[in-house]
Amino acid sequence: MNLPVEPDSTAKLPLEFTDNHESLKILGFWSFLATDLLLFASLFAVYAVYQSRVGMAGPSPDQLFKLGPAVVETLLLLTSSFTCGLAVYQMRRNHKRGTIIWLAVTLLLGVGFVTTEVREFVSYIAMGDSWHHSAFLSAFFTLVGTHGAHVTFGILWAITLIIQLMGRGLTTVTTRKMYMFALYWHFLDIIWVFIFTVVYLNGKI
Amino acid sequence: MFNNGDNKRHKVIAISPNGPTGNGDEVEARFLAPHFESDGFPWLQIFGYVGSLLLTIAALLAVVDHILPAFGLLVVILVLAVGQAALQLGIFMHLRESRGSTWHIVTLGLGIVIAIGLVGMSMWIMTFKSGVS
Repeated sequence: MNLPVEPDSTAKLPLEFTDNHESLKILGFWSFLATDLLLFASLFAVYAVYQSRVGMAGPSPDQLFKLGPAVVETLLLLTSSFTCGLAVYQMRRNHKRGTIIWLAVTLLLGVGFVTTEVREFVSYIAMGDSWHHSAFLSAFFTLVGTHGAHVTFGILWAITLIIQLMGRGLTTVTTRKMYMFALYWHFLDIIWVFIFTVVYLNGKI
Repeated sequence: MFNNGDNKRHKVIAISPNGPTGNGDEVEARFLAPHFESDGFPWLQIFGYVGSLLLTIAALLAVVDHILPAFGLLVVILVLAVGQAALQLGIFMHLRESRGSTWHIVTLGLGIVIAIGLVGMSMWIMTFKSGVS
């Protein structure tokens, strides 16, 4: 199929897509996200199968979970997803300061998320409900912990990104990195929404 | 031609009539044509945020108030979660942005099919009681 040619089309592209090679890296990152999706799908499958295997004296999902921390974590991550979207929006308008500020807010909300999650995990373990107690608890800690590890990595990534943005400004390379980070962060938000639904809310049904 | 009149919805980076340009700008099929958003104010982002908050609150209230029997409730909150995922993908992840064809949508679609199959088949196979324990 032949579509008409627009000679100046690359001039209209956002900065991260103007370089051919950089835009290929974005395509590659989407492929990574598809494989990461399969990793989480495997862990969701394990959780779905094991959630009723609570062992001899282990707690059921209903007994274990308190919705409070889970709701706080959800709100923190949803808000961070929004601020990350605003960072990309500022980047598109070529506002370096705005990009860095919203990215920093995203990072702090991410830290809040991980902190709340660690406190939640510690409170479970303090009651004796650690991952070796039952198949349900193993599956729970593996699924939610893997997501938490992803968010922790995202925080480290955002720190390096802020340093690069401050040093180099908005170039084809740094905007591509920022765009990829945003993809990663929103992807983790989607995974969390499903964890909140399938693990926490489903546990209370 | 394709670009005329359709300009508002698609900013197509098109192939040359003589074949690929070598710059990755090819668009092989109309449904893979890229689309870029640009707004003076981040309305879309605000819409996405408010939408995701509303969907979360709806799911939470549905479960806390037990509005339906267990299975119906699970279906409802799963549908709400899929809605949230669509918001994130469409608005925040700029799903339709690409240099040339949006091939990542095809990759992602395949990933989603396998993911649903993986979870669904695992749950299905475990509904059989083997009699061995």
